Amino acid sequence: MNTIKYIFLFIFVFQLNAQKSDFSTITFEKADRIALEYKNEKLTNLPELAYKLTSDLTTDVERFRAIFKWVCSNVANDYYLYSKNMRKRQRYKNDSVRLKDWNDEFKKVIFQKLRRNNRTICTGYAYLIKELANLANIDCEIVHGFAKTSTINIETLDVPNHSWNAVKLSGKWYLCDPTWASGIPDPESAQFEFQFNDGFFLSDPNIFAVNHFPVDEKWSLLNDDQPSFNTFLDAPIIYNKAYTYFSNHNAPKKLHTDIRKNEHVIFKLQLLKSVKKEDVNLLIDTTFTSKKIHPESISIKDQSLTIDYTFDTTGYYDVHLYVKDDLISTYTVEVNK
Amino acid sequence: MKQMKTKFTGTQKLWYVAIFMIVACAFNPMYGQSDQKTSTEVAQKERIIKGLISDEQGPLPGVNITLKGTNIGVATNVKGEFTFPKALKNGDILLVSYLGYKTTEVKIKPETNFVKLVISEEIIEFMGSLNTNKRYKSKRKN
Repeated sequence: MNTIKYIFLFIFVFQLNAQKSDFSTITFEKADRIALEYKNEKLTNLPELAYKLTSDLTTDVERFRAIFKWVCSNVANDYYLYSKNMRKRQRYKNDSVRLKDWNDEFKKVIFQKLRRNNRTICTGYAYLIKELANLANIDCEIVHGFAKTSTINIETLDVPNHSWNAVKLSGKWYLCDPTWASGIPDPESAQFEFQFNDGFFLSDPNIFAVNHFPVDEKWSLLNDDQPSFNTFLDAPIIYNKAYTYFSNHNAPKKLHTDIRKNEHVIFKLQLLKSVKKEDVNLLIDTTFTSKKIHPESISIKDQSLTIDYTFDTTGYYDVHLYVKDDLISTYTVEVNK
Repeated sequence: MKQMKTKFTGTQKLWYVAIFMIVACAFNPMYGQSDQKTSTEVAQKERIIKGLISDEQGPLPGVNITLKGTNIGVATNVKGEFTFPKALKNGDILLVSYLGYKTTEVKIKPETNFVKLVISEEIIEFMGSLNTNKRYKSKRKN
């Protein structure tokens, strides 16, 4: 009887946190090597590509890894396509007929670009991941929703602007964002720079929810802890590197904090890997100055990083959290008398 | 009530079964005996499959036809036609795949010799959000 109890406990308790560490015993070396081996493959034959990427691997998580790594290392984000689509989607957002017409036309362009140039935008990444995974008999879905970055104007964030994936491995759903895992486009030169970010592969749903909000809320994978849309809009800005170091962002809950002089703000995040106290810094910007500060009160305990910082001068500050040279998050703080 | 008569010994049982089998064979019509029949049976089992893939607008070139679970496949020619390179048997599954269209599975049935299939486009709405590492700058009132 006891055994059964423990099995139930195991199933239900460990179901909660679907993240990469579930597979800590598996190294992705082989999967990554296979993905690299087939660099320069075209997207003209997906079944063959799926077969090449997965047939030598034994577990679903490795097979999915090879697919994810391949897509993120071989498909570029097309800035021109992105900006054109965003303009049209904004223009037709209240005209469903024209929006549909635009989408039907754009869809053809997108798939042609993918086939010929290995270039796409978010939904194209998510679509490829889903198709290749399905061809390898892995259950995978496209998730549409809202995403928040440092350059997105929150006031106009009223139509879904991003797509990512949910994937079922060993009976559990996980989240990943292939677009953001692949690299960064430069808006000025419209060039794309490949820069694989492991943090967006089977990310912790908690940190994922800070800057991803699914249209269908079940894909937050947070059960009852799913934040409301307004909580999501109000949340601090987190950057790509946040996913490398952290599994959750606990405090402050909002981008903006109002305090009085000599009051303090507590920053708290859950760590994925160990960091040194001396590597944690705050960069505090005012309108004219930018000051790097190593806060005195930093504690790292039970995989949790806490910074307690007192603001002793009035003003309006943009506060950026850094680990080494990696930008993690941003907050705004107004300090009044 | 005792029914002694219906009891058989093990050897008797064996005999009855043997006789039944001989009778069954003897009176059964002859199947699969002639040479010709055998060759069609093999043809039924393994045969070269041809086909034509199109969409609403017409024949579609460059569509991939793959035997499920393998790397064996062929693409349709400019007329949307294909001849599968490997002889296929009943129960084999062909994956018909073309980026932007729904991947379709075709099961080879005893009567399948020619696959004619109209594939449909994916219904999908495209959106994209730009990734950036640009440091946030707040819009200040002053």
